Amino acid sequence: MEKTVVQFILENIFLFLPIGLVGIVSTLILMLISKKENIPRSETMESNYITIYHVRFNIYFLVYLFIWIIILLIGLFSNFIIPTIIGGIIAIIPFIVFIIIEYKTKNVKVR
Amino acid sequence: MFFIEINQNFAEQTRFLAFFIGLIAIVWLFLVYYSNKKYGTKKTVIYFLPIIIATLIIESAGVASGRYYYPGYIIYLSVVGGGVPLIIILAWSANLFLFLNLGRHVISKIYQKRNKFQIILISALAGLFGVCLDLLEDPIAHYNNWWIWEGTLEGIKFFEVPILNFIGWFVLIFFMSIATLLIERSRYSENRKILLSLSSLSITGTTIFVVHGLIVKLFELAGLS
Repeated sequence: MEKTVVQFILENIFLFLPIGLVGIVSTLILMLISKKENIPRSETMESNYITIYHVRFNIYFLVYLFIWIIILLIGLFSNFIIPTIIGGIIAIIPFIVFIIIEYKTKNVKVR
Repeated sequence: MFFIEINQNFAEQTRFLAFFIGLIAIVWLFLVYYSNKKYGTKKTVIYFLPIIIATLIIESAGVASGRYYYPGYIIYLSVVGGGVPLIIILAWSANLFLFLNLGRHVISKIYQKRNKFQIILISALAGLFGVCLDLLEDPIAHYNNWWIWEGTLEGIKFFEVPILNFIGWFVLIFFMSIATLLIERSRYSENRKILLSLSSLSITGTTIFVVHGLIVKLFELAGLS
């Protein structure tokens, strides 16, 4: 009978417990013995853009869109139409959020 | 305990698997190249290696538990008894890097303060974006046998995919994003950050394990699982 991953880990706790304990102890040691030396740099978001035919695209959203298109095409060619369309609509939400945020923040800058 | 298996019957029982593998390979290579170019090798290791190790263990446990399996891939890795395709592990690392940066991009536009609350917002959005894409990907994957969910699994399903799978996606991306951002923004040296990103996997993994376990229990109590 199939189990959840949690049940599986609990049944094999003697395998996972030592690994977990070693990790926790080494993390604490690393945090305590290390002196903090680096001053974190601020993140620049502007450099994540590329220009294609005079239009600026965010690289990460271009990658997301690429994955969305390919998976959508595979779903449609698989004749799995309804789930693909429903899933496709849900999966385009991040892209819509991105466009709205881009548009809103662009307007704020202009003002 | 750890083994690598080569499958001779590529794409057996599956449809369009080569396209799916090709998609992951292209995206993973591009993101690793881009991360290495933009952030350097050490940060790329922090972004990609911990999630590779974490998902190798989680996915291997998932397969070993008998909930799902992956037919037709070429290279399988196993750490706790369940064979997981190498490409699936790489896909997880691409997922985390992509959704973390998408979340960071959107949140930094609306909430500029670099504090713990911003980390939580970024991680939550990264998790939600991940679930959005998985709601498209997982039913197609199950339909084309890229991975197969056991038909005997009970509970609420979204086109044959258990809802707990999507909750698992959110929990994993959320907590891995928090850990990655906390380490990335700490003031330790780069080498120390790499070591911390690996050793802290036990803490992140335990947190994921406890939170997901509690959600599973809640679902059981509510009669949804």
